[in-house]
Amino acid sequence: MYWKYCIKRIIYGLAIFIVLIFIYSALFNTTMESTLRSQIEEEIHAETMRLDTRMTPEELTRYINERREFKQHLYHLDKPIWKRIVWRALNVLSLNFGKATIIRSSAGESDVWTIIAECLPRTVLLFTTAIFINIILGLWLGIKKAQKAGELLDKTTSIGTMIVYGMPSWWLGMLVIMFFAYTIRIFPSGGLHSIPPPTGLAYYTDLFYHMTLPVLTLVIIGFWGSAFLIRNIVLSILQEDYIMAARTRGIPERKVLYGHAMRTAAPPIVTMALLSLLASVGGNIIFEGIFSWPGLGNLYWISIEQNDIPVLMGNLFVTTALYIGGLVILDLIYGFLDPRIKVGGKQ
Amino acid sequence: MKWIDIKAGFKDFWNEFKNVKFGLFGLILLFIFILAVFLNPYIVPFPEASSRWRDITYWEDNPVSAPPVWVNWFSSTKRAPSLIIREHTFSEEKMRKMKLTRTIFEYEYSYDLPPLDVIFHGYAKGSPVIMLNIERPDGRIVELVRRPISKSDGKIVRISIAKDTRIESYNFGAKYESPEQNRIIREMVKPTSILFSEAKEGILVHPTPLKGAYKIIAEIILPSETDVVEDVYLSLSGSVSGWLGTDNSKRDIWSGVVAGVKWALLIGLLTAFTAVSIGVIYGVMSAYLGGWRDSLMQRIFELFVGIPLLPVLIVMSAIFKPSIWILIIMMSCFFWVGPVKTVRSMGLQIKEETYIEAARALGSSSSRIIFKHMVPLLIPYSFASMALYVPSAIVYEASISLLGLGDSTIVTWGQILHDALTGGAVINGLWWWVIPPGLFIALMGMTFAFIGFAMDKILHPKLRTR
Repeated sequence: MYWKYCIKRIIYGLAIFIVLIFIYSALFNTTMESTLRSQIEEEIHAETMRLDTRMTPEELTRYINERREFKQHLYHLDKPIWKRIVWRALNVLSLNFGKATIIRSSAGESDVWTIIAECLPRTVLLFTTAIFINIILGLWLGIKKAQKAGELLDKTTSIGTMIVYGMPSWWLGMLVIMFFAYTIRIFPSGGLHSIPPPTGLAYYTDLFYHMTLPVLTLVIIGFWGSAFLIRNIVLSILQEDYIMAARTRGIPERKVLYGHAMRTAAPPIVTMALLSLLASVGGNIIFEGIFSWPGLGNLYWISIEQNDIPVLMGNLFVTTALYIGGLVILDLIYGFLDPRIKVGGKQ
Repeated sequence: MKWIDIKAGFKDFWNEFKNVKFGLFGLILLFIFILAVFLNPYIVPFPEASSRWRDITYWEDNPVSAPPVWVNWFSSTKRAPSLIIREHTFSEEKMRKMKLTRTIFEYEYSYDLPPLDVIFHGYAKGSPVIMLNIERPDGRIVELVRRPISKSDGKIVRISIAKDTRIESYNFGAKYESPEQNRIIREMVKPTSILFSEAKEGILVHPTPLKGAYKIIAEIILPSETDVVEDVYLSLSGSVSGWLGTDNSKRDIWSGVVAGVKWALLIGLLTAFTAVSIGVIYGVMSAYLGGWRDSLMQRIFELFVGIPLLPVLIVMSAIFKPSIWILIIMMSCFFWVGPVKTVRSMGLQIKEETYIEAARALGSSSSRIIFKHMVPLLIPYSFASMALYVPSAIVYEASISLLGLGDSTIVTWGQILHDALTGGAVINGLWWWVIPPGLFIALMGMTFAFIGFAMDKILHPKLRTR
């Protein structure tokens, strides 16, 4: 049953996420608490400034101590360590990431979740566009390579794959900016849109104009790899017996390729596309910082520069959720495309 | 497996590997990189770059943000390169107790853009007086600076013409410049561009270079017998410098990039080796042990798969500020998941072989079967995946360094790029600062990709081109 498999997979993904959140909370407990303590001190300081100035020093200290105890109780800082860790993990699971120390959202709010929710769609937009173009180009080149395996085109493009294998995307981004934005000045050097942002249809053209350079960079780096993988997938299918049988029956080559081979190749190719999207989240995300693309990756840059621990941690939680969500979706799609998977296990 | 079997196996593998051209090319590149590590002191002008990368005194004689020397080959305006002049003629006169020495450095100037600075170095004892003059090809002598040294037991004297002779150079230039052209502010003058230009109208505003032999003369008065000024030399900070130019803190980029080779190899190889070893043993154990142990190990494995690697590494680096060794350990802790799945499925196949059954029947322990009979069969696969993990380890370290979270006691390519990014190299078009470190990362990645893909090709003959 497909839906049973779905539910099982989703619950399983959630379990992994919860365990990871607990691990994170334990691992970074000390840092997060010291940030919280200094935030409490700041709040108390702000409160005392507003107070009646006729208080004696003793009264003032007593007041401060009272407030401190109250707030520490409020944030569970007076509990034993394992209780604090559990409390923090539960807080995170209910999307309560606390308050940012310096960074503000575009509306000026300091709630970490608001700040991250603002960045999330931009990251998704940038990377999905890039992966989509990647796969289209990769399919086109990969099928060509598989059909003429071992010939000149296949060999040269395979070498291209190896050349870009260890190339950091952000470095290429730096070069692309240097050339297109500062030498010949035809593209903006970064950002989401012009300032002030245009309205109506112009807003979208402006957005695409700003997206061109980062997408271009990701495609230049990425499509060699996807072409190489697609080549390997298609090539191994083309060597199967049923393809040979189809050819002997006199079915035209085009039909063999698109009707027979590509149908089998679809699940692994979809997996590959989603995996490369996940790989972008897991290994490429700071690339946004080079283009000042205000997504999650850029938020890592800013929160490290400003030393804003709550935002940094919140960003990590959200990225992990995104990543695990991606893995789950991957399995669901794969199970849908390839019925053998969802049966699985011992019968 | 006996040693002789391994040797024979390796020989077979090498015979196949020889036929893969790009694999050989990768090996050659790797050899060049290793050579660069060992020949480091001979191929760079600043061999201590690795340990003194952040020590400003080590770099102070270099020009700021100068392009590489070879831009001269492609440009019609020739720029003066950096140079150290040690050769000099020396003469001395005695006047009762005092001594007057004359040290003459000769400099053949045949460029269109002058060096940015000319710096006199010496080691002085006692209280000598150093006077620096320059004799130009047109016969004019400019008295530049007169520096008395207060009584000392020995210190390094450094006289920079660009810094210490602004007024003298300006006065020299102002004599020839017409008054209406003379709008330049005295603090803005570049002494070297005046001293190396023709003495005519426009010397301050649009100088024409005066080519020919210059003499930089250091006259030193030594008041007592024990006073000395020794180890004198002249260093010129060119308007081009070194094979890859300099950055905005005067550091020689070629020296830095070559110093980075060692660290990149270390990070890449050590991380890949540790991670793949752990992964292979883990996978084989999971396959061989089976049952609840297999399930448990698979759950732990899936937990690690769910971790987004770079974000976690970034946050851990930001909070724990690890040294390079800790970072390598951290990366190994996350990289080992890579080969587990493949190794486990290979292990499940090997497990069913009759010789494993025979070994078990003879009473071999699990660890003996795993390490003696199963892991050796996976060695070729392990090497192939190790080679392919090296580039990722290097890129991850570079990404963390790019954010400014790298180990500040060493120099890596990522750190040079971080400095380039924060130093405005991209905006100001200082390409010689941005391109080389990244190119080396890409080259190193390419080297291991060539080797890894070549091994992969031998191991998966199905995808071999017919």
